[in-house]
Amino acid sequence: MSTLLVRSSFRHLRRHPALMLLSIIGIALGVAVVVSIDLANGSALRAFSLSAQGITGKATHQLLGGPSGLDDSLYVRLRRELGPVAAAPIVEGFVTSPLEPGRAFRLLGVDPFAEAPFRSYVAADASQGLREFLSSPGAAFVSAATADRLGVATGAAWPIAIEGVPKQIVAVARIEAPAGTPARALDDVLITDIATAQELLGYSGKLSRVDLLVPDSTDLAELAAHVRDLCGGRCELRRAAARSLMTTQMGRAFSLNLSALSLLALVVGIFLVYNTMTFAVVQRRPLIGTLRCLGVTRSEVFGFVVREALVLAVPATAFGIALGVLLATELVHLVTRTINDLYFVVNVREVSLDVQTIAKGVVLGLGATLLAALAPAWEATRVPPSITLRRSSSEAALARNAGRLAFGGVALAALATALLAWPGKNLLVSYMGLFGVLLAAALATPAATRAFALAARPVAARIFGVVGRMAARGIVASLTRTSIALAALMIAVATTVGVGIMVHSFRRTVADWLAASLESDIFVQPPSLISRKGDSTLLPSVVERVASTEGVSSINTIRNRRIRTLDGEIDLHVPVLNRPGSRVYRFQKQESGDVMQKLEREQTVAITEPYAFHHDLGVGSKLEIMTDRGHESFRIIGIYADYASDEGGVLMSRNVYERHFEDRRISAMALVAEPGVDLAALSEKVRQRAGTEQALHIRLNRELREASLSIFDRTFAITQVLRLLSMGVAFVGILSALMALALERARELAILRAVGLLPRQLVQLVTLQTSLMGLCAGLLSIPLGIALAFILVFVINRRSFGWTLELALPAHVMIEAIALSLLAALLAGIYPSWKMARAHPAAALRED
Amino acid sequence: MPEPIVTLRAVTKTYREGAGERMVLAGVDASFEAGEFIVLVGKSGSGKSTLLHLVSGIDLPSQGDVQVMGRLLGSLSEEERTLFRRRNVGFIFQAYNLIPTLTVEENLLLPLELRGEVNADDRGRARELLEDVGLSTRSDSFPDELSGGEQQRVAVARALVHEPLLVLADEPTGNLDDQTGHEVLDLIDRLTRQKRRTVVVVTHDRDLIERADRVFALERGRLFERPKASG
Repeated sequence: MSTLLVRSSFRHLRRHPALMLLSIIGIALGVAVVVSIDLANGSALRAFSLSAQGITGKATHQLLGGPSGLDDSLYVRLRRELGPVAAAPIVEGFVTSPLEPGRAFRLLGVDPFAEAPFRSYVAADASQGLREFLSSPGAAFVSAATADRLGVATGAAWPIAIEGVPKQIVAVARIEAPAGTPARALDDVLITDIATAQELLGYSGKLSRVDLLVPDSTDLAELAAHVRDLCGGRCELRRAAARSLMTTQMGRAFSLNLSALSLLALVVGIFLVYNTMTFAVVQRRPLIGTLRCLGVTRSEVFGFVVREALVLAVPATAFGIALGVLLATELVHLVTRTINDLYFVVNVREVSLDVQTIAKGVVLGLGATLLAALAPAWEATRVPPSITLRRSSSEAALARNAGRLAFGGVALAALATALLAWPGKNLLVSYMGLFGVLLAAALATPAATRAFALAARPVAARIFGVVGRMAARGIVASLTRTSIALAALMIAVATTVGVGIMVHSFRRTVADWLAASLESDIFVQPPSLISRKGDSTLLPSVVERVASTEGVSSINTIRNRRIRTLDGEIDLHVPVLNRPGSRVYRFQKQESGDVMQKLEREQTVAITEPYAFHHDLGVGSKLEIMTDRGHESFRIIGIYADYASDEGGVLMSRNVYERHFEDRRISAMALVAEPGVDLAALSEKVRQRAGTEQALHIRLNRELREASLSIFDRTFAITQVLRLLSMGVAFVGILSALMALALERARELAILRAVGLLPRQLVQLVTLQTSLMGLCAGLLSIPLGIALAFILVFVINRRSFGWTLELALPAHVMIEAIALSLLAALLAGIYPSWKMARAHPAAALRED
Repeated sequence: MPEPIVTLRAVTKTYREGAGERMVLAGVDASFEAGEFIVLVGKSGSGKSTLLHLVSGIDLPSQGDVQVMGRLLGSLSEEERTLFRRRNVGFIFQAYNLIPTLTVEENLLLPLELRGEVNADDRGRARELLEDVGLSTRSDSFPDELSGGEQQRVAVARALVHEPLLVLADEPTGNLDDQTGHEVLDLIDRLTRQKRRTVVVVTHDRDLIERADRVFALERGRLFERPKASG
């Protein structure tokens, strides 16, 4: 490539600094969004894996019982019987501390004499302060970093809370991660003796699991059978890594959808670059024609345009990655909060920079820009070397082809619809369908723009006279450029409309569901580490006192807890509904009362829509659950709507539950007041009766609904941030597209000035034209946005989570779309019209 | 007798127009010798520019052959024709078509650079040409800082700097006043005759017709050689 051509290219970009800057910002924002989401997701999952790795140590397998754990006597038998297999008992739970509210600490009860092969840092032969550890009440080892962060000295008491009940531990020694393990692996870990952990967690005589170090030569099937015999079928052998893998997979759909949404922002960025490069080509058709006459080959022209795109891509990608890292430090909190609200407990202190993510950012930034530049570059090679071919002929060609393009758009939309209707759960196919719809809309834009301009012309003429007519006419006269700008703008705005409608529809569905399913007046429950799971339990004494509160007519209760099935872990809900005709649960195609009665009588369960969807289960299927009596099979007799968790849940009657589980606790109480009782006063009375023995959330129906919706809003906070970022990219897109268009018309405007158009009229003309384009894009973005919302709600959501949502079309989202387009269009018109109005017409006429 | 630089044999060119076709050139035969100054006249839309495009290899005939410097253009690929043009053809346009983002000197050096590395001799030749066209003091100016006449003089220099054997000019004085037009024509005439280049000029300019060695007219798709007096 000639260095002179490269120089010419650089100078062209330098002569349009505003456009160059806007394009760089557009693609940089797109890259930044993808990088930040990737880093935030990755940091949260890495933090989880790291802490799991620190806790699992060198264990190869784990022996797990039912939800109530394993009898600790089993451990003694295991030590005796398993020979070369090393074993270490574990009692595990999460606690909070008033020293750092909002953070969860992992409490790990261990036998230091069994730890050497597993976790050398707590092994009896290596540990300092072992005597205090074994003999002092509440003694714990804590990681040095955590103790330093909280300012807890060795020997100092440390207040903690377990399911809202205040307790205390004493940090008797500090531990450090062993060589080869990242220091962060032991963050927020408190290690106590088994007995201390059992006492603190109310796990008397029980173990959460037994860690095993199984030599390679061991026959695993034989070992599994052997341990099953030892525990009388009430335990099972699992690979140690399988549990943490299963946990991290819980949030997979969440992460995937965030990544897809972030890609939408990048798609808008791609349109931006496409727009800029197409302008650059259309604007320089005569120049390219001249170069072709001088002997510049097609491939050289192609390289010329692609190289120009790369000049934009390199700084944009670098800027985007830097911005992405910055953004990730904010987003990681939102992601972590959502994961903690919905899936599993994880503490993320910092964004971990991942080379893979940075590489992905580079590939996406450069790749997306190159992809966006391919079509304009190809278009440039098609420029005939004849200068006689003026743009007017390509305008005429596009005007003729607008109908054909629209027809192509319809055909593509049909193909996209087929992809969207494709049976199965493949999200990639769904997203291909979604992007197909976007492309189809872009193809139909020239025809739609022409129709809009024709309709707008008489109206604009009536209001603004000749200037109005010219403004509307100008849109059609330069259709090659206006339709590209409009397509970019329409897609950008439609993305924000689609996501806005989806979130609104989801929220409304959840609000309706909450209104229907929360029948009681006052709800009492202890705080839970994972907000949506609510699996902490109430102290029996608290239950007793609250139940006997005067003014309470009936009480419903629920026990929520984590159980294991053959497919992994899942939430089990065990309600006791004492109100006749309750419709708390809405079943698909079945009467609630019938299902609830059957659940009481038989060994059956009901499951949520997402659970049925994820595991391909239906009414009549069997579900095998690891109960406290070993594996038991339950027949599924109903599928119900539930929006509390995207992984889903299982519903079991208390009768059946108590037959298979040793647990008698409850997680929450729902109180129904006697008629005429003042609810606020009753709530206060309940608070007094409950006392201070356990921290509790005592909320009125309305308050619980609000609290639930605020969790919902929190989980969608990151989606809203992504939507705002897309709007930012859209705004930049509109600004650059319209500004390019107006600047490119400098000569035409100068002619108008020369023939007598006043500067004021010129400002009016430019502003009116950009406003009309903004309005056109805003209007076109609404049906496309609704189509996107439809796809997100009925295809992407269903294939990700299996939820049935109702589509709601909020007026404010549509108004926002039009306002966004108009505002950006108006702003975009200001600079060029100001510049044109001030410019001397002669200068502009000379610059051809 | 030396072989002609350009030979056109039964050249026909048709364009699609809506559902039908329009024939612009209908069986044109002609040959231009080395060093000849050829003028092509005809009404607007008669096919003059089309003929230039065919001779330069920008376009291909629908039927017939175009042979330039012994090469049958129809047998070359698009890429080969472009490279052929790069080496052997110089273009002068009515609208000058200088590259607005390159300086005068850079515009001149562009055809040389496209052929490969620019050496000191090339730079010297470019400077000489700039002096010949009277713009040695404007070498660092950008095209939009020059008058129309100055721009066209740069364009003439650019068309000759890589020493092509064939120079094609499409209405080179069409955008210039009489006085400036004369100056530019003098320049083209002087520089091309000096170096014995073959020049094909499309024009309506009577003065240019006077300077021509031979004059051809295009009428209804056919090419006729006219006696110069009838120009």
